[in-house]
Amino acid sequence: MSTFDQVLAPVVFNRHLTGDYWLLEVEAPSVSGRLVPGQFVSIRIGDGGGPYLRRPFSVYRVSPDRRRLQVAYKVIGAGSRLMTRMPEGGQCDLVGPFGRGFKLPDHARRIGVVGRGIGIAALPTLVDAAAARGIEVRAFLSARTRSNLVGLDIFESLGISAVTHTDEEAAGQLVSERLIAASQTMDFDGLYVCGSNRLARAVHDLAARKSILAEVAMEQHMACGFGDCHGCVIPVNLNRAGGECALREVCHYGPVFDTWEIVDANANA
Amino acid sequence: MLTQTLEVSISSIRMKNPLTVGSGTYGHHGHFSQYFPVEVMGALFPKTIRSYRWPGNPAPRIHEVAAGLHSSVGIPCNDWSYFVEHDVPILKSLDLPIVQSIIGRTEDEYVKLASECSALGVFAGLELNLSCPNIKEGGLDFGYDPKASRRLVERVRRVTQLPVIAKLAPDYSSLTEVAKSVEAAGADAISLVNAPRAMCIDYRTRRPIIGNKVGALSGAAIKPMAVYMVWDVYRAVKIPIIGMGGVSDYRDVIEFMAAGARAVAFGTVNYVDPLALPKALSDLTDWLAENDIHDINDLVGAAHQEPRVLEELRVRSALA
Repeated sequence: MSTFDQVLAPVVFNRHLTGDYWLLEVEAPSVSGRLVPGQFVSIRIGDGGGPYLRRPFSVYRVSPDRRRLQVAYKVIGAGSRLMTRMPEGGQCDLVGPFGRGFKLPDHARRIGVVGRGIGIAALPTLVDAAAARGIEVRAFLSARTRSNLVGLDIFESLGISAVTHTDEEAAGQLVSERLIAASQTMDFDGLYVCGSNRLARAVHDLAARKSILAEVAMEQHMACGFGDCHGCVIPVNLNRAGGECALREVCHYGPVFDTWEIVDANANA
Repeated sequence: MLTQTLEVSISSIRMKNPLTVGSGTYGHHGHFSQYFPVEVMGALFPKTIRSYRWPGNPAPRIHEVAAGLHSSVGIPCNDWSYFVEHDVPILKSLDLPIVQSIIGRTEDEYVKLASECSALGVFAGLELNLSCPNIKEGGLDFGYDPKASRRLVERVRRVTQLPVIAKLAPDYSSLTEVAKSVEAAGADAISLVNAPRAMCIDYRTRRPIIGNKVGALSGAAIKPMAVYMVWDVYRAVKIPIIGMGGVSDYRDVIEFMAAGARAVAFGTVNYVDPLALPKALSDLTDWLAENDIHDINDLVGAAHQEPRVLEELRVRSALA
């Protein structure tokens, strides 16, 4: 019994979002209906005439009726440029949902989410799930430029005050500094990070000091997305940060890992 | 509609249809039937096993190229006892012929695995993945060396009653020699092609892109090469061929069969279009009916048959 599906999902819209990012919405109830925050989908671009491999994407948002899902993507190369031409009313060859998502502890009352660039796109589904449970969310978001801060409207509509940070305004600083400062006056029951190894390390160090859950959504090139090709491995700590290590498929064991699994994981160990 | 025969035989392995999967491109951690019942295919070739635990190659392992995939995964593998405890019970529960693919660094490793796999009583055949450096003979792949592959197949032949299928490396210079030598050594069939070696270099860093530096090329990009090699080997040997290399739909299946393949494997396409195989089976069935072909075996080697007119011309010119 499979936990995922291949669907030809009708495209509801496909339009510019902000900065370098576009937003695709499709109708895929069998995928969005069972999606756990942090899981991903993969899309075949160009109906066989495009790139050979599918592209994995985090899911940006699921509609309240759970029939539609959105993918925010960065226009970066030929594949994503072709994706911007996927027409409204057309079909999107989509497979998913894949992988292990975020864990929200039962006792959680406040969480912190930390994202950079397109990594922010993995956070709104988690934030929605937290909001539905009455969990307070604090967001710490960074990007190269202000227009590349995606999802600010979502955080705002949920009444979440987001600390933002751009390279053009504050070069060399990490948005995690603001999280660390906040943690001196408030307690977090979980920290979630996506989009930057430096941020993941900073979040991990804070979480380790406070003995709280910290998770990171990882990215790696993938050929299949469902475990068969063994292509998307990264080094993963088996017992503790910097300890014994093994290669693990991001699609199967992740994409969400505990930060201790990733920090100081050494491929040669 | 008249009856239609899709059944093909690879030695004693009876496949209800000629479609299968390339070893290592379908199923993982005991998960089969993720998109369609595995029993849809004529036989299953699960991932190659080693006799020892092996982590596989370092990341990055894959790199997309035009119409294909450049990769070097390195056949990661658990040890034999894990295989017996976790994988074998799952394989046992499947209702189709299973051909286990094996690999070794030495003849002894292949022979030991072949013998142990046979004793399990689960498999319908064994496939020897010959694309492994022979570490006792200077590191040349078994599959590139007619003598080494002959000796290896002879030794495996002696320890198993199961059909032995040699999976050849796609090497232009030695291909038919290796094919003939494994046939002479008692191989029951040949699989080809394994993915040819390839490399991609990042122009910015001037370094190979994937972790193992050298990898393989698979996917649609290699299909014409693979079809040629099947065609070439078909003329050199009498044992059946399982053709593969860039297969993605029923037209490719027909093409490989016309070149000489008795069965055809879907490989890298499984990653991209996981329902490609069942779709091809359905399309193939329709195509056979539309073209009034009742026995799929009639397609095998069709490309080698000269048109009658040419044949007659040749006879006449020979007489003249």
